[in-house]
Amino acid sequence: MKVSVVSRSGREVVKAGIEISDSATVADLQEAIYKRTKKYYPSRQRLTLPLQPGSKERPVVLNSKKSIKDYSDGNSDTLTVVFKDLGPQVYYSTLFFWEYLGPLIVYPIFYYFPVYKYFGYKGERVVYPVQTYALYYWCFHYFKRIMETFFVHRFSHATSPLSNVFRNCGYYWSFGAYIAYNVNHPLYTPVSDLQMKIGFGLGLACQVANFYCHILLRNLRSPSGNEGYQIPRGFLFDLVTCANYTTEIYQWLGFNIATQTVAGYVFLVVAALIMTNWALAKHRRLKKLFDGKEGRPKYPRRWVILPPFL
Amino acid sequence: MAGSLALLRRLYLTIYNWTVFVGWFQVLYFALKTLKESGHQQVYDAIERPLQLAQTAAILEILHGLVGLVRSPVTATLPQISSRLFVTWGILWSFPETRAHILVSSLVISWSITEIIRYSFFGVKEAFGSAPSWLLWLRYSTFLLLYPTGITSEVGLTYIALPYMKESEKYCIRMPNKWNFSFDYSYFAILILGFYVPGSPHMYGYMLGQRKKALSKSKRE
Repeated sequence: MKVSVVSRSGREVVKAGIEISDSATVADLQEAIYKRTKKYYPSRQRLTLPLQPGSKERPVVLNSKKSIKDYSDGNSDTLTVVFKDLGPQVYYSTLFFWEYLGPLIVYPIFYYFPVYKYFGYKGERVVYPVQTYALYYWCFHYFKRIMETFFVHRFSHATSPLSNVFRNCGYYWSFGAYIAYNVNHPLYTPVSDLQMKIGFGLGLACQVANFYCHILLRNLRSPSGNEGYQIPRGFLFDLVTCANYTTEIYQWLGFNIATQTVAGYVFLVVAALIMTNWALAKHRRLKKLFDGKEGRPKYPRRWVILPPFL
Repeated sequence: MAGSLALLRRLYLTIYNWTVFVGWFQVLYFALKTLKESGHQQVYDAIERPLQLAQTAAILEILHGLVGLVRSPVTATLPQISSRLFVTWGILWSFPETRAHILVSSLVISWSITEIIRYSFFGVKEAFGSAPSWLLWLRYSTFLLLYPTGITSEVGLTYIALPYMKESEKYCIRMPNKWNFSFDYSYFAILILGFYVPGSPHMYGYMLGQRKKALSKSKRE
């Protein structure tokens, strides 16, 4: 089969196209394109079927595990695919590692080192118990995230654009420094002992619940990632589509109840907004996929992310 | 029904654009007059009121974008209006020590020429349906000079105000307090100056792209 590879503006990306066996997979095609273009390794390629001009539909993205026969429409000696360069890619695990490493390193710097001297605060710092517990809690949280990245999560995509490294690290590292600066400040005012216990108690319980949610989500995906989406079930997922985000949000609430800083609450609100965006998309996708027709199960009525609000 | 709604929108936007146009025209007129008659130290006092009114009215434009009255994306207008309001209220109004500086003159002249062209352009478009090609050319060409002069003035005046911010502790919140929150206005101002570093080339590049699109489109028509 001859595959013609064009850009979205119609320009030929691979001169004279690619000759490839009829039984080849899309992954084989991507390898062949990489060999010819030398620059565009497979994870950088987004291949779609051409759309009719003026069509408002979303283009069909070629799945690398399928065979190219699945995408040719019967006149099987030529196929045209539209190519988009997704830009330099990094593994998701790499991205997550770097974005989580920042907070893990930056926070203890504010706790252990005489940083505040450089902000004009001379003299010794009195360290309250809550500040020490906050350090342990925070570092445990990001350590847990890194461990989950390497041992628990099964990613839907292997890679993410390189630009996300700068964006995500900027977000995590900046907020990490901002919160660490305030909680470890020499003029920090702790809350009552009871409030601290309630906060950390809630936070720890939610971290454990969050971990269990991640295990359940992992088991929804097979190691090869072949089967696509499944309806999450069990534990809190019977009530909330994105119970993993719910537990994460409440976990940060616990931290903030214990440490009480504006910085921490700002972070909580921003994180909750970001996760709510993701949750709405996921909920919508699952409801669309599991519509109850043609033998497919119907997606049950559930909260999206934060009962009783959403 | 839909037709009269569109007419109402056009009427409102025509009135809005021409009203703000008059405000900026006053700024330019009084600025140039004062420069000639009294010198740059008096320019601020001459234009304070029309500047504050015309610049603050621009908040409405964010609203217009949000409710869909105009097509401009909020992401382009928000940083521009924020920096203008920061300089107008957060620097010039808050720290009178900056008002006698010559950068005030370059600032208000850059801003007012840009805005006079912009508001008359939109005012004519809303009222008559299209704008003359010379006005289109002005709108997409004067920024080439006025963006750099305006940005330099904004950055310069912010920088000049820094020692006064530190000394007066104005708008600062100090610790200890119940919410473990602190805010230092001079650090905040430095952070804003930091945004100018990627922000200025981004805005300039955006306008260059808009210029290319607008001027080639009018050539083809």
